[in-house]
Amino acid sequence: MATKILSVDDSRTIRLIVGKAFRPYNVTLVEAANGEEGLVVAAREKPELIILDVTMPVMDGVTMLAKLKEDPELKAIPVIMLTAESGRENVLQIARLGVRDYLVKPFKEDQLIEKAMRCVTLEKRPVPTPV
Amino acid sequence: MAAAPDINQYKEYARRYGIAAAPESVSRLTQLVARQDCCTDEIVRVIEKDPGLSSRLLRVANPGASDESEYTVGTVDEALMRNGIGCALLLAMGTPLSLALIKTFQTMLSLKLESVDVHQLDTLRDTHMRGSIGFAGKVTGHVYLRMSSDSGKAIAANILGLEPAELGNDEIRDAAGELLNIMTGNFKSNLCDAGLDCKLQPPKVGMTDDLSTPVEPGGGLERLAFCAGPIQIFVDVTANPWND
Repeated sequence: MATKILSVDDSRTIRLIVGKAFRPYNVTLVEAANGEEGLVVAAREKPELIILDVTMPVMDGVTMLAKLKEDPELKAIPVIMLTAESGRENVLQIARLGVRDYLVKPFKEDQLIEKAMRCVTLEKRPVPTPV
Repeated sequence: MAAAPDINQYKEYARRYGIAAAPESVSRLTQLVARQDCCTDEIVRVIEKDPGLSSRLLRVANPGASDESEYTVGTVDEALMRNGIGCALLLAMGTPLSLALIKTFQTMLSLKLESVDVHQLDTLRDTHMRGSIGFAGKVTGHVYLRMSSDSGKAIAANILGLEPAELGNDEIRDAAGELLNIMTGNFKSNLCDAGLDCKLQPPKVGMTDDLSTPVEPGGGLERLAFCAGPIQIFVDVTANPWND
């Protein structure tokens, strides 16, 4: 059974990089472009992990994280923040809200996979055998 | 003194999450610049200890000079006396911004981006790609990222692992916008940690033939240039401290 992961980022570039990082694994990736969309997708898809940007239009990642933690059905989903902002106030606020991990952009795909593996089980996709 | 537990807690989270700190000289300089009552001597001492910061300050203080032989301002002390503390703020912002850009190329594009003198690169002519991101708060300004269409396409292709021919304009613009986000997010953290709170505005990316860079009233401008093989990138930082 594929692991379902939600990537919430207003940058299509980052969502593509996240998708590329998980491609070797048996993962179903669902996406959202801001916090508001992210909450809707999280409620509908019940992902096992959320990878969340901070600065986004409509609803930022900190607000989305706070709302996730208030929702009894969603609060247990582990969240990894993926952001270029590592200022003290930001990190303290996010950590206190109960984020599982924090990855500062720029990042290597390997780093994202390593942090994701601390939260969920990732199985390699079977390599198709040549005919 | 009440902030100490927060700082210790932040250090603990930073260790747990693997968050790297800004260089010590840059953090110290930003903290000094953030204090409006700080004496210039302290700032001079911090800058003089760091050869990289000293040479960049002199470059900012001699905007018309094409090399050191044309400098009319020759010392760190003189540069700060003549150009004010805004010069030091630009240094405090430019360093994390440069480091973030170089690190982005290293980690996400596997390319070695080098910081070079602006005069060493071909000047951009005609239509080129320009991205800008504004920040506003206790410090106000903009970061501009300029490059040729070919450089923009090469960067997007590298980040996304695609061939340049496979890319549409939206992908190229989005990749340039994300580069800006990463650069500015890093320096914003440094400014906020020093008490110069500010918020980032969404990036704007488009094509332009306008080569001018507007500077905020009372603010300063620092021009940075980078290259990695045929890719050439120009970054302009404008800032006005103590906006409030």
